[in-house]
Amino acid sequence: MRYSAWFATYGPSYLDGLGWTALTALGASAGAILWGCALLLIRLAGGRGGARAVDAYVQLFRNTPVLLPIYLIYFGFPLIGLPWPAVVCGGLALVLQNGAYVSEILRGSFKAIDRVQFDAARSIGLSPWKTFRKVVLPQVLVYSIPALGNQVVLLLKDTSLLSAISVTELTMRAKLLTEQTGAAYEAFLVVAVLYLLLVSVTEVIFRTAHRAVRWSR
Amino acid sequence: MRRKALTSTVVAGVMALAALLPAAAAQEKSRLDVVLERGELIVVTMSTAPPFAFTDDKGQLVGFDIDIVRLLAQALFKDPGKVEFVIVTAEGRWPAIESGRADLGVGGTTVYPDRALRVAFTRAFIDSGISILVSKKSGIKSLEDLNQEKYTVANLNNPQMAERAKRFFPKTKVLTFDTPSAQFLAVRSGRAHALQIDTPTADYFAAQSKDEFEVLPQLLTASQNNAIYLKPGDFKWWQWLDTAVAELRSGSWYPQYSEVYQKWFGKNPPPQKFYLQR
Repeated sequence: MRYSAWFATYGPSYLDGLGWTALTALGASAGAILWGCALLLIRLAGGRGGARAVDAYVQLFRNTPVLLPIYLIYFGFPLIGLPWPAVVCGGLALVLQNGAYVSEILRGSFKAIDRVQFDAARSIGLSPWKTFRKVVLPQVLVYSIPALGNQVVLLLKDTSLLSAISVTELTMRAKLLTEQTGAAYEAFLVVAVLYLLLVSVTEVIFRTAHRAVRWSR
Repeated sequence: MRRKALTSTVVAGVMALAALLPAAAAQEKSRLDVVLERGELIVVTMSTAPPFAFTDDKGQLVGFDIDIVRLLAQALFKDPGKVEFVIVTAEGRWPAIESGRADLGVGGTTVYPDRALRVAFTRAFIDSGISILVSKKSGIKSLEDLNQEKYTVANLNNPQMAERAKRFFPKTKVLTFDTPSAQFLAVRSGRAHALQIDTPTADYFAAQSKDEFEVLPQLLTASQNNAIYLKPGDFKWWQWLDTAVAELRSGSWYPQYSEVYQKWFGKNPPPQKFYLQR
């Protein structure tokens, strides 16, 4: 099998898939981290009810496979008058699930903050919101970088599930090429290498970020 | 340190990939002998292509194609139950056969000359046709209606579907799924206005709710053959299967074939001999 010939023919198809995978992963990761921060805020500021609600939410999403929300949102939303595109529905499902994980990661980091800082924040007159934004969040995010990196890698790999709802990302490309050419091994091996590449880039980004903030402090 | 870790990742990756490649083909004995020795057929199929192969309310894999395979098991082992089914999505059929994971495959699988370059087919065991199922709400009454930019069609992920879409309704938007049930779900949820699939499958889906769906009277292909597929190059195995299919359609097993046909399609199969009056 000549991979150069394979690439010459199907390269554009893979690149298109790579673009969708990268775009979805990027968008969903940003969304998941924001949503995770929001969940942490609800947990901290929402009193006992807020913490319970967040616990229930985390339990719900941590204990179900992500394919479920993907299907439910993609096929269910048109029934309630929201025919969003497949990539948005799939991305939302990834945000909802990974947000639950991110909020747990952030909660772990939150516990590492010294309580004295909250007294200090109050003593200089910071409001609770300002304390969250200026004291808690920056530290929590920095402590969480390695774990968040892991979560983003998991999310990136989960984007392959969007092939089930007609998103033409990398895995869907491999499926289409398998049907088109019958060369299942070649189609999926190339995709495997491309995923490896994307994950490696992600890891480098997070490692660099981690090192940068470690030095700046 | 990090470079070392990276190197080992790459090495592990390459090794894992190499393990996936098909082993060099050794001189193997015929699958027929392997099957007889094993005492069980391993069959790859889809589980979401009613009425050919699907899961019923009790969770059992049933269907026309499944019953055909049971007849094969009856002939091979005198026991229709000696079948292990491997369930895959549409594109998963070919590697399952190429890798030798299964002895043969069924499940609403159409014979196309370009497909026959990679898997071997027996002669057809049913002529099914390809139809369009539409949601009644869409108001689509014909292929000409469907050919508008405002409509969306749900395809299965094979190139033949894409080609027919270009030929019959080039203006229509297309969504691609990996199972017939996902296609149907797309129409049901309003994601798509129509889907193309084997006529009996379209009829089966439409029968789920006659108020919501209908099948367009026009066919996308005048005739189309569904057959058993297997790994090419094993003459003895292919010959046995092909003979069995020939006997089913127009030979000594025609009564059993008719019975299965009646069960799933509510009518008799087309007569195979001019002197058979129906």
